[in-house]
Amino acid sequence: MNDFWRKGEPYIWTTAAALATTLLLAAVLIVVVLVNGLGVFWPSRVAVAELQDGTRVMGEIIRHEAIFDGEGQRVQFKIGNRDLYGLDFRWVNEADINRMSYPDDVIVLERQEHGNFYGTLANLEGRTVTSPAQGWAELRQRLRQLAGEQDRIAEMSGKLADLNGQVARLRLRERKLLYRGLTAEDARVAELQTRRETLERRFHELADQQSDLISSLRERTATFVDVSGNEREMPLVDIVRPYQPNRMSLPAKVAHYAGKLWELLSDEPRESNTEGGLFPAIFGTVMLIFVMSLFSFPLGVLAAIYLREYAKEGVIVRMVRIAVNNLAGIPSIVYGIFGLAFFVYGIGGSIDQLFFPERLPDPTFGTGGILWASLTLSLLTVPVVIVATEEALGAIPNGVREGSLALGATKLQTLTRILLPMASPGIMTGLILAMARAAGEVAPLMITGVVKLAPSLPLDGQFPFLHLDRKFMHLGFHIYDIGFQSPNVEAAKPMVFVTTLLLVLIVLVMSSVAIRLRNKMKKRYTYSTF
Amino acid sequence: MNKKILKRIQRRDRIARYVITVGGMAVIFSVLLILFLIARVTVPLFQPAVAERVARFPVADQGATVMAAGLDEYRESPFVVDAGGRVQFFAPGGQPAGGELLLAPPVGAGRILAVDSGEELTFGALWDNGSMTLDQVRFPSGFDAEGRRVQSREVARLASLPPLEQGVPKQALVRRDGEERLTQVALLADNRLLIRQLVTETDLFGDSREATHLLEATGLPGEPITAMVLDTTGKNLYAGTGRGTLLHWDLSEAGAVELLDRLPAFPDGRAITSLALIFGDISLAVGDDRGGVATWFGVRDGEGVKRLQRIHVLSGHRRAVAGMIPSRRDKSLISFDAAGQLHMDHMTSERHLLTLSSEAPLRAGSLAPRGDGLFAVDAAGTGYLWKLRNPHPEVSWRTLFGKVWYENYDQPRYVWQSSAATEDFEPKKSLTPLIFGTLKGTFYAMLFAVPLALLGAIYTSQFGNARLRGMIKPTVEVMAAIPSVVIGFLAALWFAPLLERSVPALFLGLLLVPVFLLAAMVLWQGVRNRPLGKQLDRGVEFLLLMPVLVLAVATAITLGPMVENWLFDGNFKLWLFHEAGVRYDSRNCIVIAFALGFAVIPIIYTIAEDALSNVPQSLKAASLALGASRWQTVWRVILPSASPGIFAGTMIGFGRAIGETMIVLMATGNTPIMDWSIFNGMRPLSANIAVEIPEAPVGGTLYRILFLSAVILFTMTFILNTAAELVRQRLRKKYGRF
Repeated sequence: MNDFWRKGEPYIWTTAAALATTLLLAAVLIVVVLVNGLGVFWPSRVAVAELQDGTRVMGEIIRHEAIFDGEGQRVQFKIGNRDLYGLDFRWVNEADINRMSYPDDVIVLERQEHGNFYGTLANLEGRTVTSPAQGWAELRQRLRQLAGEQDRIAEMSGKLADLNGQVARLRLRERKLLYRGLTAEDARVAELQTRRETLERRFHELADQQSDLISSLRERTATFVDVSGNEREMPLVDIVRPYQPNRMSLPAKVAHYAGKLWELLSDEPRESNTEGGLFPAIFGTVMLIFVMSLFSFPLGVLAAIYLREYAKEGVIVRMVRIAVNNLAGIPSIVYGIFGLAFFVYGIGGSIDQLFFPERLPDPTFGTGGILWASLTLSLLTVPVVIVATEEALGAIPNGVREGSLALGATKLQTLTRILLPMASPGIMTGLILAMARAAGEVAPLMITGVVKLAPSLPLDGQFPFLHLDRKFMHLGFHIYDIGFQSPNVEAAKPMVFVTTLLLVLIVLVMSSVAIRLRNKMKKRYTYSTF
Repeated sequence: MNKKILKRIQRRDRIARYVITVGGMAVIFSVLLILFLIARVTVPLFQPAVAERVARFPVADQGATVMAAGLDEYRESPFVVDAGGRVQFFAPGGQPAGGELLLAPPVGAGRILAVDSGEELTFGALWDNGSMTLDQVRFPSGFDAEGRRVQSREVARLASLPPLEQGVPKQALVRRDGEERLTQVALLADNRLLIRQLVTETDLFGDSREATHLLEATGLPGEPITAMVLDTTGKNLYAGTGRGTLLHWDLSEAGAVELLDRLPAFPDGRAITSLALIFGDISLAVGDDRGGVATWFGVRDGEGVKRLQRIHVLSGHRRAVAGMIPSRRDKSLISFDAAGQLHMDHMTSERHLLTLSSEAPLRAGSLAPRGDGLFAVDAAGTGYLWKLRNPHPEVSWRTLFGKVWYENYDQPRYVWQSSAATEDFEPKKSLTPLIFGTLKGTFYAMLFAVPLALLGAIYTSQFGNARLRGMIKPTVEVMAAIPSVVIGFLAALWFAPLLERSVPALFLGLLLVPVFLLAAMVLWQGVRNRPLGKQLDRGVEFLLLMPVLVLAVATAITLGPMVENWLFDGNFKLWLFHEAGVRYDSRNCIVIAFALGFAVIPIIYTIAEDALSNVPQSLKAASLALGASRWQTVWRVILPSASPGIFAGTMIGFGRAIGETMIVLMATGNTPIMDWSIFNGMRPLSANIAVEIPEAPVGGTLYRILFLSAVILFTMTFILNTAAELVRQRLRKKYGRF
């Protein structure tokens, strides 16, 4: 035992404890994200609690907790029905609950607005529902019918957006001509004007048609009753998805889960981003990373090749290398503020002055947008690519280079035929790491063009298809926004956790791949002899 | 080989070399330009104000005396008011612009004795029969058919007061407070101060009644009054005497005058020659006959009574101060002396911005409403029109980093408060609390992260099982990739509420974990000495410790509420507030320590681990062969050899913690306070940039100050990273890995 202390074993145990703590912390983080994120879409049962004072509470049980100052436990219910109660959540002391039941007929409605509704069906399109089961079947059938109509409305919306875009473009062309000094009477201007007016007429016709259709659809309503007997009439089109959680079998629950997951990945957000899908944010993130790679990858690789293969080793190269390593550690917010001053106000402002003077003072490129955000991020990630590429090139034994040159290949040939292919896993690693960093970076985006809700994607069917001047949505910013700036943080929490889970998954998968690649490559070159 | 092909290949090689060299260097240097470009944005902050004399022209014709001067918003129409009440306008170049207007003399009056210029081009004229008028020169502007701005001129009479029965005053001031109240202050020839208030009172039924109060200022020291000033609403009257006594009366209650302050302003009893109120009507600027200019405002003394106190000393003149013109846009002040020297200073920053001079002593002057122009007339009847460029007067090294005594504060403080609801607010832009916030957050985070990361690295590289090691390192590296926005979100919305409920459990955990560890060690020793235990491998201790740690934490959480009941009367937060006077913020330094620490652990760990594993195996083998235990080897041999790498890792982690934005933005509460308590939040530089830049107008002071904070961040991380990189390169050379 004495020996144990003298040899310093306790210190070793301390180091082991430090490592264990670190790993546990990481595990806790992942587990918290997984537990909170994965469970969100699982349809949980809806409980009805009868309280001592005779009132009843219906909702999903969110959690149990010890009462802060007092005895016993309290239960948090998600009672929904924001339009009736104003609040989504309610705490009930367990001691006050007389009886808890899970009635089969409870219907949960996901709605376009006001969050979930918990209650039962009373009246469908004017006919009182007598048998709950039959009412449920009819409700589902009606909703299926309506889905076709809603598709038509969506199609019309697409056409309207298209027409609107065309009108806006014509108007801009008109303004451009007027800006150049042509008068309103000029033939070209007049021609544009007539074309625009025709389009506008068509736009209005279509819009009228659509609003007629919508109002006729909105007349088809159903009345639901909450647990206390309050009735609520709502148009069927406002119902996104009804379900009866207490009656669902396991496969039905799985199907529901899958449906929600698909909605998450493919749909637009609803209710100030706290419900619905994440598609625009996912799309924005992917596109941001793509445009960023387009800039940072070639530039970074070029710089690294120069540093490693062409520049003469010396004080300057050493200093440059220090500088590049240094840049990788510079706070991202500093890059952000640089992007704002240099790209947005500097270059963007000049582009507006030169090419879009007729639109001023409305900025086109002189405001945050996906192009500037991507450029800022590419500046941020160039050092990562440089360092990784340099390391990959440096790991190739000099014998390989000398061998190639000795066989008569030029430097370029050596580079393109031998060195780059050999270093490609390392370069890939750098790129993936850069992409992972870009996917998780939020601070610089916040000042260079990310928004909480972008009206349109940066890539769509309208000429010129790629709109690099548009603002965009981003998963990371989405987390910050709905977690910290949404009016109803408690109701938004599930969505934040889902977004977090998605982002963590993307980033972790990307970096795991990168690290695997790197380790493989390290082994390949460090231990092989030539 | 074909010569042509050979040539082509060579040509391609040359082109490639050229392109790669130029491209590579361009990339590197353009990236290096960042600091330069950011720093360039901040340069105008420290540039002095610039004045350009646009015109110099004679303004007084036929010996008419100029009583007051004025300048419009667009610096297009300088004008003067002469003793006859005529208002003459000039073109910006100095040519008479015609269209002369008149301050109509009241019945029985002929000449103006004195004019008191108030804000927004109001002029209170004292006529030779003792009556007073208050007029405003207005420039209603509109747009003509071609969209050009056109400006017309008019004079509006705001009030007219009959002569006082007590005689014609030497000097008189008049102020109007909305429609309700008109205050006139008159200094009589016998050194008495009379106050006349015309108050319109509206009762409950909507009937209005006019009342006139005639009061006399009390507490006069029997010294000649040489200067006086009334604030814009006519509720505070200040006066200075020929022997340096400063007086302050409160006129806010109709029909009453109360002496608030009477104090000698100077020990040597020099005369006060000029008084003015700085924009916002809180600070009083005092000019004396030795040329000194200082600003004063009321500060609460020991008994909680506000007493005037000298706060800022501005640049002095060589001769007596003849007059002062406060800016109506910020806290700048123009003072001019008897010799025609003109100084422009900013009160908060105490920066001397500009010195101008006229040929003869000045009689009257006026600043343009936007503060970008100055029109002054000297005693010889010459008018001067200056264009001023003075974009950031409130910034100096002292306001950015030093303690500044702001208006309404009891002592000099470091304060960051960049905006407020009112326009006359004194901007408080001290970066010190923000730098403090950055360092405080970083300090606690490093306190948490460095031991964990370094010890963990030592274990992984030296004691850990080789197979497990191959899995641990990538795991920690993947940890580094977790986006900071995720960590920040979890810290703020998951961990902070959890911690708020169980602070005692945390402290208990800090106590219990070592105890449990010790117990586990002793137990393990027991197991190892058994025959079965001997087969167990070394290097898996950390796996064994995980359940122990979990158990310790679980115990702490279970016992936490009991401890809270027992020691802290059941509510730790209340106890903390009552016993220690410390407020518990939900988003505090403990949260930051965990969150930010979690973000930097992988960085420090990776670099330190690399350095430790790169120490040549021969050193380790030699030490072990000489009989050192494995801990002794690590402590005495491996650690010293790897210390540069460990240092580098710590520095890089430090740099990362300083610059981290999202975590601190989400989990600090963002209150710019200076307090080392771990139960408070803070506002670091990086979060401050993210919070304020969307609201900062481009090119404005706040915008440039935020860039300056970016430069500070850049410099801090640059120094740390460079130090780390230099050390790391030396280490690499030493062990020749790369």
